[in-house]
Amino acid sequence: MTDTIVIGAGLAGLTASIRLAESGQAVTLLSFGEGGLPLSQGTIDVLGYVENQPVRAPFTEMSGFIKAHPDHPYAFLSSTTISTAISWFTDQTAGLLQPSDETNHFVPTALGAMRPTYLVPPSMVFPDVPRFAVVGIQQIKDFSPGLIAENLTRTANIQTRPYWIDLPARPGEVDSSPVHYAQALDNPDFLSRFVDKIVATIGDEDAVLLPAILGLHTDAHSRLTEALQRPVVEVIMAPPSIPGIRLNNQLVKRAKEWGVRVVLGSKVTGFTATKDHITSVTLHQAGRDQTYSGDNVIYGGGGFESGALVVDSYGKVREALFDLPLAGADRLDLITGDYWKPQPLFEVGVIVDPSMRVVDPGKPKKPIYHNLYVVGGLLAGAQRWIEKSGDGIAIASAYQAAESILGGDRS
Amino acid sequence: MTTAHDQHDLLARMSLDQCVKCTICETHCPVMAVTPKFPGPKFVGPQAERYRHGDSVDQSLDYCSSCGTCTLVCPQGVKIAEINSQARAVMKKNHMPIRDRIISRTTLLGKVMTPIAPIANWKLSLPPVRWFIEKLFGIHRHAPMPKAGSRTFSSWWKKHTPPTPTRGKVVFFHGCAGEFFEVETSIKTVEVLEFLGYEVVTPKQGCCGLALQSNGLFDSARTHVNKLAQQLNIEPGTPIIASAASCAGMLKHEAREILGMTDPTLTAVGTRVRDVCEFLLSLAESGDLPLDFQPINQTVAYHAPCQLKSQGMGLPALDVLRLIPGLTVIDSEATCCGIAGTYGLKKEKYAIAQAVGKPLFDKVIEVNPHLALCDTETCRWQIASSTGAEVHHPIWMIHQAYGLG
Ligand SMILES: Cc1cc2nc3c(=O)[nH]c(=O)nc-3n(C[C@H](O)[C@H](O)[C@H](O)COP(=O)(O)OP(=O)(O)OC[C@H]3O[C@@H](n4cnc5c(N)ncnc54)[C@H](O)[C@@H]3O)c2cc1C
Ligand code: SF4
Ligand code: SF4
Ligand code: SF4
Repeated sequence: MTDTIVIGAGLAGLTASIRLAESGQAVTLLSFGEGGLPLSQGTIDVLGYVENQPVRAPFTEMSGFIKAHPDHPYAFLSSTTISTAISWFTDQTAGLLQPSDETNHFVPTALGAMRPTYLVPPSMVFPDVPRFAVVGIQQIKDFSPGLIAENLTRTANIQTRPYWIDLPARPGEVDSSPVHYAQALDNPDFLSRFVDKIVATIGDEDAVLLPAILGLHTDAHSRLTEALQRPVVEVIMAPPSIPGIRLNNQLVKRAKEWGVRVVLGSKVTGFTATKDHITSVTLHQAGRDQTYSGDNVIYGGGGFESGALVVDSYGKVREALFDLPLAGADRLDLITGDYWKPQPLFEVGVIVDPSMRVVDPGKPKKPIYHNLYVVGGLLAGAQRWIEKSGDGIAIASAYQAAESILGGDRS
Repeated sequence: MTTAHDQHDLLARMSLDQCVKCTICETHCPVMAVTPKFPGPKFVGPQAERYRHGDSVDQSLDYCSSCGTCTLVCPQGVKIAEINSQARAVMKKNHMPIRDRIISRTTLLGKVMTPIAPIANWKLSLPPVRWFIEKLFGIHRHAPMPKAGSRTFSSWWKKHTPPTPTRGKVVFFHGCAGEFFEVETSIKTVEVLEFLGYEVVTPKQGCCGLALQSNGLFDSARTHVNKLAQQLNIEPGTPIIASAASCAGMLKHEAREILGMTDPTLTAVGTRVRDVCEFLLSLAESGDLPLDFQPINQTVAYHAPCQLKSQGMGLPALDVLRLIPGLTVIDSEATCCGIAGTYGLKKEKYAIAQAVGKPLFDKVIEVNPHLALCDTETCRWQIASSTGAEVHHPIWMIHQAYGLG
């Protein structure tokens, strides 16, 4: 009943599942827990920094970047594939992310830095106006309007003024999660009290910056913009990330709409294979192990943070499920003492051919299993959060793996 | 001296070190979403557990409904719900409300109520009686109460004549609710299995002790599990088919992960237990399920209960129901119905449970206000009493689609 088994419900696994299912495949998505999206900033990075310099137009710089980084995952994907994948992906988000104009957006963070990113929700577009009100809420920690205002004045060359409002999301609660505010702002009564507080507090600034809490299920951002009669901007905060949760919810919903069978909460702990063919994977369910088989397997297990890569106390790195050969794992300086430098450890990963099938770094011509594809955070050769490239890699590699499988089906 | 159970508790406890404070569990906890009284899984689970030495200093733990959603979504394998359940058992050891002892004894309730079912049901629906029960025992006057049937499953079973089997044997595990309160579901399950050609064996069986466990009465729960495992451990190698998803979960993993039981009989039984829809789906996958269903032209909401989701096998009922022509089944997408076993019965938690279930109730009413589907009995009672819809086990649809009545 399954054509393709996808392992991992992060950005990569969800992308691959949706692409295959919308093309008519029966997909089973197996994931231990949720992926990284609910923690992410809720925007999509493609390429944000090269050599510590912010990138204006990722696709203009892509060929140069690939040339300088021949082992980077982007080097296995063409610039065209990456851009096709990203624009296809934008459509899957049903308006949550707005179509790109080929340039990076620069959006403020909760520390008041301007961060490059490629696709943003309409609520994060930074308007070209001179004066901003930065509004914090007493009951939300990790969002300090004074700090943000001061830093933005320096980094974005704008005028800013910090304000505080005092409005508990729930009676008596002094320290609320952003989720509670987002849920409260889904409620029109709370939203209108929220508006009243802001109106009574701020001055005549041209735009308002607020923490990214503007509705979980409803578009509170549009209503707020209307009520305040000026642009309102959501500022990325520490997790839990409301824009990330919205994106995750939307992708899971899209996957289910296409009939993807989602099996959440159990780990894939083993597999069976003939010489070059994965025949089944073993899911460690409650009570017993259950095998799942399909024609192809896409593995989007993420990196160290999600347990797909593990490192022991001797510094030996291993891929946890299929024990796949890894590139970059044999260096002695996997971790350098300089916090701000790229850590070689994070470039360790799996190597693939252009179809996204896993190959041995020593014998890069022949896939190890002809039906095993690896996508996303497991791929070797990237400094994802320094380059701001992890999302683009996840989407493009997943799209490419799906295309390879579909191409194979068609022939 | 540490016992096997203590050592096991330590194992669940050790998983707290895997917590990276990502807050994913918090964003899914249905109780935290509706009340500020509960600070959430990350705090009450891995964080507070560090400070527990014996008794819990933080009483908010009791507001955890043990729905298991946090453990399900945690990407780091922290056994949050299990840590909470174990800590609650310690916390309540010496001050267990009499109410929690009574509602945990499902078999006893059933035995007492069955012979006098019409009277018991009538009495339990009377406001003054419910008001009195609330005052005396702390069971909220509007909380759903099981309706006892006037016959038990066993009385039907004794009289029924099975068709000649054409396939192997299966053991049927109905649980105590299936014996006393959800008799029709048990009967339909047996009839479907027999229609498929199986020889159904139903040993005498007691309660799985789940309600005792979720109320922190671990020792009594273990006694029940042990006895039940022995009762079901017949016909080695044959699947044990359960029509109560929560009881199946108890035998599959909760007894091991929460009660710390490692008894080999339990393991042998636990690995053989299949939820009935899980079983039917595996037949469908191997091409062994007849697919000549009669069409059912209806649209219904299906709610997958937490205790089924926490078995980590996806939503087999949804997959099987979608094989029936004409039937449109809408996944409720709701986390929890609020009842969480006996949680929503308690007077101090009734309002929370109703708020937890609200998105689900709204969905049921929106999709089809007359009929909804759900695999566990307490959740069915909760959905029915809060929406007015009839709520059936998914097997009812399969039974109907096979033309069995
Ligand atoms: C601290 C940090 C900051 C980052 N910042 C950025 C950034 O600013 N920009 C950027 O672009 N990228 C960033 N990244 C990279 C980010 O990880 C990727 O962008 C992207 O989210 C990876 O997606 P994924 O789908 O490959 O993996 P994940 O989102 O990690 O998903 C992996 C999934 O696989 C599941 N899984 C793993 N093993 C198994 C198994 N055996 N069985 C079943 N399921 C399994 C996990 O439960 C999880 O659901 C950052 C990463 C980290 C760690
Ligand atoms: S989801 Fe798991 S890792 Fe994340 S905060 Fe909760 S317990 Fe910790
Ligand atoms: S078991 Fe349920 S109620 Fe308890 S903390 Fe976890 S998600 Fe919340
Ligand atoms: S879950 Fe089922 S068997 Fe267990 S106590 Fe409840 S009704 Fe009885």
